[in-house]
Amino acid sequence: MATPLPAYVARRRQDWDALQALLTRQRAGTLKLDELRTLDTLYRRASADLAHTQTFYPGTDAHRFLNQLCGQAYAAIYQPPRERWPAVRDFFRREFPATLRRERGFVGASAALFILGLVLGAVVVLWEPQGAELLVPSGVRHYVAQGRMWTDDILSVAPPNSVASGIATNNLTVTIVTFATGLTFGLGTLFLLVNNGVHIGAITALCAREGMVGGLLDFIAAHGPVELSILVIAGGAGLMVGQSLIDPGELPRGQALALRGREAVKLVLGCAPFLALIGVVEGYVSPGDLFPTWMKAGLGFALGALFWGYLLRAGRTDAEAAGTPDDSAS
Amino acid sequence: MRSAPTPHLDVATPERVALTLPVAGIGYRCLAWLVDASLLFFFWLIAYFVFTLLVSDVLGVFQGLSGVAQTLMVVGVFATQWLYWTVSEVLFHGQTVGKRALGIRVVRWDGSPVGVYESAVRNLCRAVDFLPMLYAAACVSMLLTRQHRRLGDLLAGTLLVREERIDLDKYTAAPEAAAPVTSAEGARTLTPEDVELVLSFLSRAPGLAPDVRQRLGARLVERVGPPDAASLAAVLASAESTEAFLRARVQGAR
Repeated sequence: MATPLPAYVARRRQDWDALQALLTRQRAGTLKLDELRTLDTLYRRASADLAHTQTFYPGTDAHRFLNQLCGQAYAAIYQPPRERWPAVRDFFRREFPATLRRERGFVGASAALFILGLVLGAVVVLWEPQGAELLVPSGVRHYVAQGRMWTDDILSVAPPNSVASGIATNNLTVTIVTFATGLTFGLGTLFLLVNNGVHIGAITALCAREGMVGGLLDFIAAHGPVELSILVIAGGAGLMVGQSLIDPGELPRGQALALRGREAVKLVLGCAPFLALIGVVEGYVSPGDLFPTWMKAGLGFALGALFWGYLLRAGRTDAEAAGTPDDSAS
Repeated sequence: MRSAPTPHLDVATPERVALTLPVAGIGYRCLAWLVDASLLFFFWLIAYFVFTLLVSDVLGVFQGLSGVAQTLMVVGVFATQWLYWTVSEVLFHGQTVGKRALGIRVVRWDGSPVGVYESAVRNLCRAVDFLPMLYAAACVSMLLTRQHRRLGDLLAGTLLVREERIDLDKYTAAPEAAAPVTSAEGARTLTPEDVELVLSFLSRAPGLAPDVRQRLGARLVERVGPPDAASLAAVLASAESTEAFLRARVQGAR
């Protein structure tokens, strides 16, 4: 039989306290190399002690204490490599575009849904003008009835830099929600994609009926291509999540979800800086008559081409270009 | 043998030891969220007053600043809504201020600390977990899953573990200086449960009502093996002598 518990604790406690002190300093990030070695040794001893208490003193406070201590030390010793700046660079240079190309099926499906909504909205309003009352927000309808562009007033209420940041954060929120609602078995994402498409389609059709389509295109041209692309990409990420819930394959549903979630969020995180940039364009360039329409359109096409060029070409390795089968084709 | 009554996370380390970490339940999580939410609320209360001061420009010196202030306001609202959680979880080893206050921590399902991706996923999903109001979806999900995970945790493959403050001093507290009764040599050896029971009684005894203290002490003396009939009366004479006997008994083999 083992020694009594109090005697055991008294004998081993010194090591545990030392380990605890080292862990506190490790969190503060002030460990030297030899202290790190001590930490490793102490962790191994504590593990052995944990095994000992598991056998001889299960369920006691000493057992729970060692459990927790070893858990903290385990987390400190086996922590994943930290993401630092080189990792961020590598993410945008290679990982983000590569993930997008691998999951192009989902992004394609998302684009199809969005375009479906677009066509639906436009057809309904062109066919039956009454439909606009249902599909177009009343504020926008009000402006159109007066023959004015609602976007002309964006600048008159606030200085442009706060408009730009407001638009950028609003777009980010829309993107995040489009992705996150994929958790509802993809239904939320599906709804948001079609709904956004219907809205934009209906507004365009309404403007076309009132002869204002030129003004609308003038506003949309500069930022539209990139912004709508990003919405579609986030929708693709949401659909990935939904797909992993509906059809987890050979994995348990929870694990499949966690695996796909990690991939899907890469698409959303990768889009974030581009959304912020395009928010600046939308705030400064798109409203008003500061720039002629041809310049806005040119900028919009150039930005869109750059964005997609980056997504489709960046970090493409020889193997990928040669068309080797993807590891996660689904 | 007592098995863990609460949900827990089992981790097998490469050292071939099984860790069992207690999972934080819905109560801990709600309280931690309340702490964080009120922190953010007060932060914005203050920011709002500073902001209105800048915009209304009472002092007339902020003319050029008000535009910048509005930008900061918009970006700041966004940051507290979306970035606060992820940034603090990544920088402070899985803890926000509220989680630190409650002693809970986000870990991956294998017990390792969260990285940027996991933290980003679970916090972006707050948008869905919040639906339809006040984290109703999250609460339902926490009640239904074994390890109390909300939807964002399921998607990110994370969960929250609890850190208890366990006091080891009760094992090593010195026996009282003049123990009137020596431990009963040759009595049966105590099981860890007995030791645990006696120690927890001893640490709580000063806070108990006198008669309860006396009665519990007497029952414990009975349990851990009473001394011979002659000294029994001496042991049970007062609460102090009873506890001195018990302390000597559990630390007897030292």
